[in-house]
Formats: sequence, structure tokens, C-alpha cells
Amino acid sequence: MDGWVFDIQRFSIHDGPGIRTTVFLQGCNLRCFWCHNPESQDAGPVIQFFPDRCIACGLCVSTCAQAAQLLVDGRRVYVRDLCRICGACVDTCYAGALIIKAKRLSVAEVLAEIEKDRLYYEDSGGGVTFSGGEPTLQSDFLAALLAGCKERGLHTAVDTACHVPWETLAALLPYTDLFLVDVKAFDEGTHRAGTGTGNRRILDNVRRLAAAGATMWVRIPVVPGFNANEEELGRIADFLAGLDHVPPVELLPFHHLGGGKYESLGRAYPARDLKPPSDEAMESFRQLFVGRGIPTIRGT
Amino acid sequence: MLPAPRIPYRERIAALTRTKLEFNAAKLARDGYHDVDDHGNIPWPDPIPFERISNHPDGGSYGARCIGQNFRRWLEVHPVYIHPMSALAGAWITTLPGVGGWRPEDRPTHLYPYHKKYHFMATGIGAMNHFGPDMRIGLELGWGGLLDKIRYYRARNRPADTAFYDAEEDFVLGVQNWIGRHVTYARARAAAEPDPEVRANYEAIAEMNEHLVHGPPRTLREACQFLAWFQAVDRMWYHGGALGQLDELLRPYYEADVAAGIIDDEMVLWFIASLFFNDTHYSQIGGPAADGHDVTSRMSYLILEAAHLLKIPSNLAIRLHDGLDPGLLRQALIYNLEDGTGPSISCAKGLDEGYARNGVPIQLARLRAKVGCNWTALPGIEYCHQDVTRQCLVAPFLLAFYELVDDPAAPRTMDELWRRYVEHLAISVRVLKEGFDWHMQHHADNLIEIVLNLFCHGPIERGLDAAAGGVDIYFLTADGLGLATVADSFAAIEQRVVIEKRLTWEQLAEHLRNDYAGAEHVRLMLKNIPRFGAGGTRADGWAKRIAETYTRLVRGTPTPLGYTIIPGLFSHGGIAQYGADLGATPNGRHAGAPISHSANPDPGFLPGGGAALTAKASAVAAVQPGWGNSAPLQLDVDARLLKEAGGLEALEALIRTHNRQGGTLINLNIVSKEKILEAHKDPSKYPDLMVRVTGYSAYFQSLSPAYRQQIVDRLLAA
Repeated sequence: MDGWVFDIQRFSIHDGPGIRTTVFLQGCNLRCFWCHNPESQDAGPVIQFFPDRCIACGLCVSTCAQAAQLLVDGRRVYVRDLCRICGACVDTCYAGALIIKAKRLSVAEVLAEIEKDRLYYEDSGGGVTFSGGEPTLQSDFLAALLAGCKERGLHTAVDTACHVPWETLAALLPYTDLFLVDVKAFDEGTHRAGTGTGNRRILDNVRRLAAAGATMWVRIPVVPGFNANEEELGRIADFLAGLDHVPPVELLPFHHLGGGKYESLGRAYPARDLKPPSDEAMESFRQLFVGRGIPTIRGT
Repeated sequence: MLPAPRIPYRERIAALTRTKLEFNAAKLARDGYHDVDDHGNIPWPDPIPFERISNHPDGGSYGARCIGQNFRRWLEVHPVYIHPMSALAGAWITTLPGVGGWRPEDRPTHLYPYHKKYHFMATGIGAMNHFGPDMRIGLELGWGGLLDKIRYYRARNRPADTAFYDAEEDFVLGVQNWIGRHVTYARARAAAEPDPEVRANYEAIAEMNEHLVHGPPRTLREACQFLAWFQAVDRMWYHGGALGQLDELLRPYYEADVAAGIIDDEMVLWFIASLFFNDTHYSQIGGPAADGHDVTSRMSYLILEAAHLLKIPSNLAIRLHDGLDPGLLRQALIYNLEDGTGPSISCAKGLDEGYARNGVPIQLARLRAKVGCNWTALPGIEYCHQDVTRQCLVAPFLLAFYELVDDPAAPRTMDELWRRYVEHLAISVRVLKEGFDWHMQHHADNLIEIVLNLFCHGPIERGLDAAAGGVDIYFLTADGLGLATVADSFAAIEQRVVIEKRLTWEQLAEHLRNDYAGAEHVRLMLKNIPRFGAGGTRADGWAKRIAETYTRLVRGTPTPLGYTIIPGLFSHGGIAQYGADLGATPNGRHAGAPISHSANPDPGFLPGGGAALTAKASAVAAVQPGWGNSAPLQLDVDARLLKEAGGLEALEALIRTHNRQGGTLINLNIVSKEKILEAHKDPSKYPDLMVRVTGYSAYFQSLSPAYRQQIVDRLLAA
């Protein structure tokens, strides 16, 4: 079995406990306007173009059968509408100006990459995290990967926004040691405005995971203009405090690290003008959760 | 509880730090960039009235007697120095002027053409001081006891030529003279000092050193003072820099003084900081005793903290083993994260088990201490000649490649390239071994280990220099460099030329000869292959094969005279210098560009792979030669990655895993990327920024632009 993987990061230390390898699966069914992995949103591969790396060697131009790669007045132009994402141009681009995300990998190939850092997981209490995109959208592939990890005795985590049928998550329960669950907003209108979709199913799934006794960390992106206010975060805190098992919470401040990727995809960056929340604001938000008896992770 | 001094000890330490920064600025202005270890020498404005004795028509000063006479004369005129806020007296100004080298007639001129052909940057011939003393000898005997010992064995052995003993005697008499003049100086300063506490300090220094001219140290402060004198004179002689297992050397004095109620820990921090201000000799804390139990003590923590408080470059190492007190490692990492004052991490498993493979009992192997940039040594019983060779792995590759493409009859295959590479590498190793034999035959006639002989078990007893039979164990060492450059080059040819046939051997040769002029896409094509470090790549396979072959060639057979050579992979910091004369290589490296660093993958080896620290650590572990010499892992980490909770724990686990994997040394740099980039633009803005270049620590602003660039490149790729 194989699936679309857009990145594998070793020595990942912020996606669950210890030293981990994070496997990023392609495809997402939310469209968060602040998303720092926009290349992961489509279900299949996408091509990123970084003009500053281009050495104008012209190899991609002569390779492209669709005439999507052009040299116009000595300047490289990538016509996305003509591109069929065959990847031929990427294979010739040694300068790294053209990159294809994602790759079709087999379960065995992914597990081989995961195995490389086994010793580090053992010494750090780490393991493997499947992230995205929304990893549960490739549910069979994900289940096979999780099962493979459990066969190898590895700690597993799934980083999910829970916007999938409950049955999909339920099927993962036997193989998943930790769910890293994104809760972005409690108010449905707010959620829809920021992500393009409602959140009733998400919140319901979070309730069900808690009721099923799943180990969960809830991760909340704190995004100005979206949820970075006491009212909305307070509602999320109230919701979490009412769960059967109250999970620890990690507040993740909005950042611009993914901003450059939008340009490489030929897209506008909707969050360009947002300012990351200050440390003081983050601490004040954290107190909203602490005050409701919810433990916070990493002190943020 | 001792009464607190009016000038708190930490304020005194801060004063030493300020002086160090002033001295460093003055040295930088006077001498220019300084690319090796930061040293404790102080700038001295006046000329020193030293008149060197020569004993050779070329004007040089060679051989034991002449060296001893000159060293004594030098110490008799060397200025005296006491920092008013230091617990200790003395500082060195420069190395023994004009004394050194070999007589022209003894030099191995027949090997020079080979050294050039194979691009040796250091051959080990004529090198000094790269083994470890057993400082317990000096601490037990004192300078007077050492003098008595020299005289006793000279009388007992009755050698026909007494030059060796006479030289050692001259040296100790010189040291005693220098210490004695400090007593006088301290008294004079005390008499002129209005501040009662500073005056009392001068008086204490005078009294302490009056005893130390002859007697062995009785207290912790005196032990530190003895080590300071040793450090200073050791540096004067070819920049000697090895101290030893410092916590265990000092622990008995500490425990006795605590029991006697004459010290407290604040005072101890001041003593140790004063010792580190005096010089940056290499020393180790923590680690296994012979029976494997951990030696970490309160003294270990105090040494670590003193280095942290002083905030100047230090060459301290922690010896990591499974039983190490976890608090010591954690504290070291915290200090490293805080301001770069943490130690390097010497990995006991790989080093001890590797060294034991040479037939040495594991109990003895455990006693090796990390006392050099990349190296360890058994204190006082081993002449290991560590860190004095730089054997280029790249030059044999270029010779083999061009020979192949210039030979129309040669098969264009990887097997043929490899065969020719191994042939050249073998010749290069043979040249190295012949050079070592030459060194061992001629060295002591020209230069003697006049300082370290006194702190070894055997040289004085036998009347033989440590390089000429004075000690019991002779495992010499060799360090190869440029592993990733060669491994990636083999892999690039295999992938792009042999498998994908994107260019021919001849076209590749043409591009290399032209330094890729007009062919940037070809250069990038060759560069952007799956490289050494990613794990499971062709280049990883080549790296392992090259490391194993180099190891076999070096370790498999002894030198013609029978010396065993232990291989390592270490390039010090001079990768720019080593690459300057080398042509372009098939890994996409331009002619004259730096070659790769020690056994580390090149920066950017894992595109898009995050911090890649585990990949790098595994890669370096996989190519360890495994006989007790090192192949260091250079870990350059952006501080931001670690500042969140869980970051430090992850780093600690990474370090422990590397030890378990058989790694040998971890040189850790935790610096903010933003800060290092700012400092690179204008180094003078950050005069106190410290970095670990390789195994040694230095002020960033003191490094040459090429060295600074190396640090920046590594951090940007991290």
C-alpha cells in the first residue's frame, strides 16, 4: 500500500513527547487562512517554484511537454494552468528552484525512514507522529503505517483536526498512543470564517475521543483576528474542561514561517499582515486554561 | 560558615572576565586573528630582555641541553604578573622565543615531495606536547620534589651524557626562580596596596608561593596555584595544553579543606575561575573510574560553575558514560544554552571500548582523559602523539580520478576508480608511517618534552624523553580529513556518470579542470544527489567504505619500526585552509573551497529535513574508526529550537544515544542564528560571544573571516 507524503522530518521535538520523526501526509479538508503548510492542502502533489534559486539553465523549459515552463525575456515563468504536475521539470532542476510536494511512498518506504531514528526514540521517550495536511484523510494508508509502527514497538501520535467521520478516528484508536487534536475555535461562525468549514463534527469527535479514554493533547493555534481573544479561547477552555477526561493543552502562537510558501505556490498569503501574539498575551491566554484546571504543555 | 569578603568572590570573577576581554581586544589588535584555541597569555607592552643561546651554525637552538639552558634563562627574565582580583599569581606572555624545530640535517627532506603530493597539512614529524600528563606527580612532589627526583635519578643512573637531566634541572630551577620573583612582587604590591582586602590577597599569594617554590601544595588554593604554574610554562613550550581529570585531581584538597573549615564553595569558585583565567588548558570532569563507577563529585559541579561564571572560552569536557551523574550533563547543557560556556562531551563508550581493542584492559582504557581538542590520553604513561597529523583523504581521490581519465586504456568503472583511490591512499598512509618512524628516531635529539617529562611515569626514572622510550605505552595516532567530500564525490560519479549517464567521465574531468566554469547546472546536478548523512544513500555507503579502508590501512599494519597507529577522522577547524590548494571535486565543490569537516556530513546534506540532528549523529557514528581515537560530531544548534520545554531533554537524549552508538566526541554549539549573523557582519559588536569551533572554544571576534564563515554555514544549515 502507498500514499502521498509531503515531508518526513527527523529530530522533530515539538510534535509530541521526546525525539520523534514526523511524517506529513498530503491533503487537508480545512482551509485555515493562516496555514503554514499550504503545500499540503491539495489531495495530490503540487509544484513549488522558488525564482530566487533559479539559475536560468533552461533545462526545465526544454523538458516540459506542456510548455508550462517558459523563459520570457530571460526570466523564468511558470504557467500553472498548463502544468499537469508530471514532475519532469523538477527532475531536471538541480538548483532546487522547482520542488514537487508530495511523493507517493509505500508503507515499507516510510517505515524504513522511521526506523533510522529508533535508538533516539528509545532514549528520549519519543516515537512517530503522523501529521499533515490531515493525515486521517488517507485513512487506510495511515492505519497501515500505525500498525507497522506498533509492530515495531514504537510510540505513535496522530496530529488531526478531527474533521472526519468518527469511524475513521475510532479505527485508529488501537494503534494510536497519543492524539494531537487541533481545536481552533468553539464558535461555529468563527470556525467557518477562519477555516472554511463548521466545527460541530470536530467538537463531537473530541468529545468521543475523550469518552473513549484516548490520550490527547489539544493544540490550539492562537491567531490574531481569529481566536486570539479571551472570549473565544475562554469558550474553548470551557469546552475542554467539560470533557470526560480533561486533556492538556498546548497553545501555539501564530507565526509567519510558512508565509514564503504561498508565493512558491502562486498564491496570495492571506495572513501576511497579521502580527504574532506577544509573549505576554500568550501567557495571559494560558492563564485562561490554567484557571479552569487544564494543564498546559511547554509553558506557552 | 566563613565570613563573606567585602569584595564578593563573584565580583572578583567578573573583574577577571573584564580583564580577559580587554586582553583579548589588545591581542586581536596586535596579532590579528587567532584561529586556534584561545590561550591565557597576556599582552605585554615592553620587550623582554631574553638572550637566546644558539648551538648550531644555522643559528638555532637544538637538543636537550640547549633547550634547558634557554628555558631557564627565559624564565629568569620572564615578567611577573598578578591580577589583583585573582586568587593565583602568574601569567605567560609568549612561547619560549626562537627555540624549537629540528636541525636541518635531521629533517626528513626525502619525504617532502610525498607530503606535497598527498597534501599533508601536518605530518606529526617534530610535533610536540600532544599527550597527557599525570598531574598527581607534580601535586605530590611540588617543584622542589621534582628537582630532587631529577637529581636522584641522575646520580643513580649515571648516564654518560647528563644533558637530559641537566635540561630538566635547568627548567625546574627556572620555574622556581619565576615563582620566587612573584613572591617578591606580591610583597611589594601588598606594601603599596591601600585596600586591606586586596593587600591581604597579595600577602596570601606571597605566602602561598613562598611555600610552592619548593614544597608541594597543601590546600586547594595551593593545588590550583601549582596547576597554574604548570599551565603557564607548559604553554610556553609549544603551546602545551593538557591538564587531566581536573575534578579528581582537586577533590582530595577540596574535601580536606572543607573538613578543616578553611574554604566554602564561593571561595572555591573563585579559585577555579582564577585557574581558568590563567589558561585554557584542556581538562575533563565526570566519567568512569577504572572500575566503571562514576567519579562525579561536588568538585565536578564547582568546576562547571566556575567556567560558567568566568564566561570566557574554556576547554572543559564532560566524560559521558551510562553511569554519569545525570545532573552534571543537564547542568552543562543548561550553561551551553545560556551563554555557550558549557563543555564538550567526550563519549566514553566508543573511546574506551575502542581503545581496549588495542589489547589494553578496559579498566585502563577508562582512565584516558579528554585533554585535547579532539583527543584523549592516559595520564602520564602514554605517548600518543594525538592531533598532530592532517592526512587529506581528498588528494588521493583527485590523483586517482585524473589518472583514470587520462589513461585511455583504463576501464571507466567505479571499481577501477576505487582501486586507484585505495592505491594512492595506501601510499599516503605509508608515507605517514615512515614519517612517524623518522619522528621517533630523531625527535628527542632535537626537541625534548621538557615540561611533560616531569609529569610522566618513567622519563625521569629512566633518563629518557617521553618520545624516546620514557613511558610505557606508544600508540601513535593519525587523523584523516575530508571524508564527506570524497564520499559525496564517489556517489556523484556513480549516480550521474555511471548509472544515469548524464555526462561522461571525460566531460566531468573537463568540468573539474575548468572549475565548473559556465556549467553551474552541472555543478548543482552533481551536488544535489542524496548525500552522506541522509542515511542509506550511496554516499553513506561510500563514506563507510572509505572510513573502513582508511582505518584498515592505518591500523592494520604497524610502522616499519613497529609502532601501532590509531586512526581518527578529524580536521580541526582549518577546512578552508585544507581546501585552498585542492582542485574542484565531483561533489560540486569549487576549486579552493573548504573541504568537509572531520567525519561530519556537509552542511545542507539533508534538504528539507528539518534540524537533521539525528541524521547527522547517526552518520558520524556509522563511520567511527573505532580504535580509541575520535571522529567528532559537530552539533550546531539554533538556540531557539531548544528554548521551549522538552528541547533540552531531547538534546540530552540525542547526546546519550550518540554515545550508545559508539560516537567519540560531541562538540556542541548552541547559538542564536540571528546573533551569529549579526556578529558575522560586525564581530566587534559581540566581543564576548563564544563559539566552539571544533573541540576548542574561542571568541567569535578573534576568528578569521574564513573560520567565522564555517561556523555561520554550519548554523544556517542547522
